[in-house]
Amino acid sequence: MSEDKCVQPLLEIKGLGISFGGLQAVKDVHFDVYERQLLSIIGPNGAGKTTLFNLLTGHLKPNTGHVIFDGKNITGKSPDQISRMHIGRSFQKTSLFPRISVYENIQVAILTSRGKSLNLFSPARDMYREEVYQVLETVGLKENVNSIAGSLPHGAQRRLEIGITLASRPRVVLLDEPAAGLSPEETESLTQLIQMLARDQQLTIVFIEHDVGVVISISEKIMVLHHGELIANDVPSEIVKNKEVQRVYLGEESIWNS
Amino acid sequence: MEYLNKIGRSRVFGWGAIVVVLVVMCLLPFVLSGGWLSSVTEMLILALAGLAVNLIVGYGGMVTFGHAGLYAVGSYAFALLELSLGVPFAIAMILAPFITAIAGAVVGWFCVRLTSHYFALLTMAFGMIIWAIINSWYSVTNGDNGLFGIPIPEMLKSIPSYYYFTLIVVTVSAIIMKVILSSPYGVILRAIRENSTRVNFLGVNVRNYKWLTFTLSAFFIGIAGALFAGFTNSVFPQFAYWTKSGEFLVVVLLGGMFSFIGPMVGSVLFVFLDKVITAYTVYWPFVLGMILILCTILFRAGIVGFISEKVLRQGDRQ
Repeated sequence: MSEDKCVQPLLEIKGLGISFGGLQAVKDVHFDVYERQLLSIIGPNGAGKTTLFNLLTGHLKPNTGHVIFDGKNITGKSPDQISRMHIGRSFQKTSLFPRISVYENIQVAILTSRGKSLNLFSPARDMYREEVYQVLETVGLKENVNSIAGSLPHGAQRRLEIGITLASRPRVVLLDEPAAGLSPEETESLTQLIQMLARDQQLTIVFIEHDVGVVISISEKIMVLHHGELIANDVPSEIVKNKEVQRVYLGEESIWNS
Repeated sequence: MEYLNKIGRSRVFGWGAIVVVLVVMCLLPFVLSGGWLSSVTEMLILALAGLAVNLIVGYGGMVTFGHAGLYAVGSYAFALLELSLGVPFAIAMILAPFITAIAGAVVGWFCVRLTSHYFALLTMAFGMIIWAIINSWYSVTNGDNGLFGIPIPEMLKSIPSYYYFTLIVVTVSAIIMKVILSSPYGVILRAIRENSTRVNFLGVNVRNYKWLTFTLSAFFIGIAGALFAGFTNSVFPQFAYWTKSGEFLVVVLLGGMFSFIGPMVGSVLFVFLDKVITAYTVYWPFVLGMILILCTILFRAGIVGFISEKVLRQGDRQ
């Protein structure tokens, strides 16, 4: 639906591919992300989902294809360059700053994204205090502001993981399996959080998930990755009917029915 | 509320403690003998070197075995400016840290390309290269004989006056370092220590950041080197030797690398133990080794880390 409103996609992925030795981890992937879309990428373990994110954020350099962001070719740029163009990502394996406070975890992301990283002489303590609290409010960690990040329970760490990404004010948010390791209740509230971010804060979000049930209800479009190939890219109602997708997920039919 | 509480407790107490320590330091020349006052001067200079090394070790999360090389660059730059070029004391004292920072930038440019133990080994290699140059370049550095008779202004010639001079320079340097570490740069530096990959994905060129840190650290250790050269009126190639780097690391580890004041406490302890134990036995390094082993086993965060943990726990119980 947003496709009609926007002339140009915010993020264009054209024929992206990479192989490690003989393994073609990602193969000729094409898709577009339009502003304010909420997209999800699903696929079984080892389908190449995280590798795809690594290609988009500069962690890996693709063998083939291009990534175009806001009309500019960003293929092969370094992670910090890509991040400075306001593409933010979170990690499947929680990647925080464990021995500093939750407050500072968020503050770091704000400072770096506001060009303050070479400010050597102003006290940082109260810089962007308001913004830090706003982000913590959004991800529901306001009470934990003074805790040491590494001491938080897993669920809270996953939320902080997203908070750090949001704090850098990205134009596209790439969330790598935000629900990894969460209980069903935690997954439910996280799903609501993602939906809220897309709806209320009008963020453009692409998120990875291996549990199909989680994405069906909230995604505008779902992409299915299998053995590095994009085998489907459609609205949820069509994805459910897709024979090939069903075949990939064979044995997990129960999820589809529920 | 919590924020106000924090200011109310830790900060005011912190400033109070600093003022008390400074007042005591100012009064020391009236109570201590010349020998002890010299030791305290040495403590101050070693504390500054420790703080500089801790910028890299504690805040940057990189272990350096080559800082003695940069320390010696500071000492020799100061000595040669005065002796060979006839530059006045004050100017030589100001220029030496900048020259050290340039040397640090060159060495650092290579070192930050590596991480962990590779980084440590490369710093050591550069330190030894500096030592080798100083040790063999007779026409300039007088080789292993060292340089003597560095002129000192009349007003700084007595032990108490040089002590006051050192106290002022070290205090000002420490304040500047504290300000830098409390800035956004300091926050991000600690984040890099914690997780450099994530900081990279937040848009920071981590390598350049480490390079800047290395250069800053070189600047401050250059001040320490110049101060020490002025203190002893002489410089020797041993200043650059890797065991001297080890001394800086011991100071950092002994005091605690996760706190700002750690290296200062470490240096006080180091110089004090050196002076006391050498009076009884020539095997002072042996005793130091034992103390270090105990420290690493019992107080992994150093003396300061150990004490603040105790205090924090006490606070939790109340």
